[in-house]
Amino acid sequence: MNKRNLNWIVRIGLLVALVAVVAACASPTPEPTKVPPTAAPAPTKAPEPTKAPVATTAPTKAAEPTKAPAATSAPAPTTAAAKPAPAYIEVGASIPLTGKFGSLGQQVKPGYQYAVNDINAAGGIYVKEFDKKIPLRLTVYDDASDPTQAVSKMETLFADQKVVAYLGGASSDMHVATIPIAEKNKVPYLGVSFALNAIHQKGYKYLFSPFPKSPQQTVDTFAALNQLIPDASQRPLKVAIFAEKSDWGAEEEALWKENATKAGYTVVVDEQYAVGNLDFTAMILKAKAAGAETLLALPNQPSGEALIKGMVENGWTPKFSLIIRAPENVTWSTNLKKNGDYVTIFPGWNSAMKFPGVDQLNKAYQAEFKRDADLLTGPSYACVQILAKAIETAGTLDRDKIRDAIAASNTSTVVGNVTFNADGTGKVLDPLIQWQNGKLEVIWPLDHATAKIMYPAPAFDKR
Amino acid sequence: MNKIQITIIVILLAALLAFPQFITSESVLNLAVYVLLYVSIASSWNVLGGFAGQTNLGHAAFFGVGALVTRMLWFAGWNIFASMVIGALVAVVLALIIGVPAFRLRGVYFAIGTLALSQILLITVGNTFSTISSIPTEDLKVYSLVPRYYMFLGVALLTIVTAYVLLNSRFGLGITAVREEEDAAESLGVSALKYKMLAFGISAFFGGLTGGAFAFYHVGYYPQLTFGPEWTFDSMMMAYIGGVGTIVGPVIGAVFFVVLREFLALRFAEFHLIIFGVLFILVVLFLPDGFMGIWEKIRKRLLRRSK
Repeated sequence: MNKRNLNWIVRIGLLVALVAVVAACASPTPEPTKVPPTAAPAPTKAPEPTKAPVATTAPTKAAEPTKAPAATSAPAPTTAAAKPAPAYIEVGASIPLTGKFGSLGQQVKPGYQYAVNDINAAGGIYVKEFDKKIPLRLTVYDDASDPTQAVSKMETLFADQKVVAYLGGASSDMHVATIPIAEKNKVPYLGVSFALNAIHQKGYKYLFSPFPKSPQQTVDTFAALNQLIPDASQRPLKVAIFAEKSDWGAEEEALWKENATKAGYTVVVDEQYAVGNLDFTAMILKAKAAGAETLLALPNQPSGEALIKGMVENGWTPKFSLIIRAPENVTWSTNLKKNGDYVTIFPGWNSAMKFPGVDQLNKAYQAEFKRDADLLTGPSYACVQILAKAIETAGTLDRDKIRDAIAASNTSTVVGNVTFNADGTGKVLDPLIQWQNGKLEVIWPLDHATAKIMYPAPAFDKR
Repeated sequence: MNKIQITIIVILLAALLAFPQFITSESVLNLAVYVLLYVSIASSWNVLGGFAGQTNLGHAAFFGVGALVTRMLWFAGWNIFASMVIGALVAVVLALIIGVPAFRLRGVYFAIGTLALSQILLITVGNTFSTISSIPTEDLKVYSLVPRYYMFLGVALLTIVTAYVLLNSRFGLGITAVREEEDAAESLGVSALKYKMLAFGISAFFGGLTGGAFAFYHVGYYPQLTFGPEWTFDSMMMAYIGGVGTIVGPVIGAVFFVVLREFLALRFAEFHLIIFGVLFILVVLFLPDGFMGIWEKIRKRLLRRSK
């Protein structure tokens, strides 16, 4: 390589790099609004405790499930010539089917797929604009639990499939990457499997989530306890909170503390742990020394199992345990056996819920997976039901009109009747479920209960 | 390099500059951004890992620091370019601080030491900056991929040109000597520590600069995402697929890696990782010198024939 050629290459390369930078400058990219990236979420007003929607066997027309729109519910055909209809209504999802959130994504995908199958089996969704029923076409991409890949898949769904709506993936890590893309592209987004409320306070217009959020979970924690244990003297009033150092963990921790005091409970231990922590000994010993009777925690796996093992080893058994997330895993009971019992969760749904369509969903799930539908499958099935109803109500495939229809929707789904607050959070049921003898049982709200609460939890060595 | 080669490069660069004017699909533009991102990070890893032969398993730390500092400054109202440069400089400072003790280690111990550094930062950032970092909703309304494309193009070209200049300078000779036989180089008066530190600093600077461009590009993520080990291992894999220690190798590796992974992901859903893994194993088995190894063999054969 002679020096003259080297100089040429360097000059050309630097010139093009300079042009690229100037082009980046010249393109319209305003400075962002001054928002520190670590800003704490705005305090959220605690909602009313969950009220169980009535499981009607003959729902009103407005709340009719959309999985099989009846022919009679379709408006009468117009005489004017309708626009040529597309062959399909395109919807799409970027889901973590592999990687660290794969176990969640594998519960979400069948929910979407079964709902689409059921709707298409009934001919599709009636769209007034085209005066006909059009089937849904679902495109699912695996983002391998990588938020950057998820962004890429979201853009592909928008540009290539021209989706009228996005269906969300699973876990907060993935949703925070994909929700802004939906907002940027102005495409309605229906997602479950995240309880983080802060993301709903960012002013996103296209985000909807028929899934219980932190404010509701933290109010329901104490509302459920007080209702399940009517004798105040028997209640586990001394509370230990083990919060994960994440935005969701901080959100739940603050709201649990606030609502515990309101409900007459005392927080005696409030500890934080890093995501992925496997040694809870120090905080367990603190809780034991403080005489804590209730444990509130939100670890993912494998931290959840490590927490229980630590409690067994250190001989601390709280009378009541609410451990959100880790015990939602189907392997919880298999791995922990009797030590996994008595633990309660707020997963958003259970296959034993008495709502129209649940039996059909369980039947389909049984045929494919030899078990009733998983915890996240119901809420994801409900997303498609809500979307279908909104498209039918909007009578068009215009995304903004569909978005408005979702915001105003009142839909009977497999998770109950769903409406939305102005921030896109769903007004949904928040059932409390307990591991009892290796099975998940609904214990609250009482009109959906499949079993009574097992309380107080006996010591681990006496089970 | 002859006139034909220079003409090809000029045409290629002109095409890259004009690309967003002809491509309207957000999907394709996003893929191009993705390729340029990986060209930049793989090329920056290659400066230390390839030219200096120091297997750095902590490159994500510099990428992450660049992204974190840039995002914080940019969101605080700083100009994006100033934010990126400061982010990259902070990455260099970090590299220089840890470089001295890290280069007391050699081979696998150096690799483990750098991996430990990035893991420490991953956990610390996860604990300290645990809330979402997302572009404000109002700004999403005017968000465009075009300036992001040019930003990554600029960073990628700067990285490649710098690597090219370095490799064809006294520094290139010195660092190659250190890579091939450190003790022999030292005995001839080449300061191994000086050259390795220089390579580390340059690698960290461009890793940090790429992180800054990522902070400018990505709409919403948790800050710890940019410290994940996948940024290091993906970069390393691309450099090896293309041809480690060469200028063009990481570029070819990044294009191959990103396009193939995207192609498989769009067609084979959850099986794409298995297929990708098998293909990667085949490349490593049959192309130990990467794609540049094939080119080198062809070139040698042609030269032999012409003699």
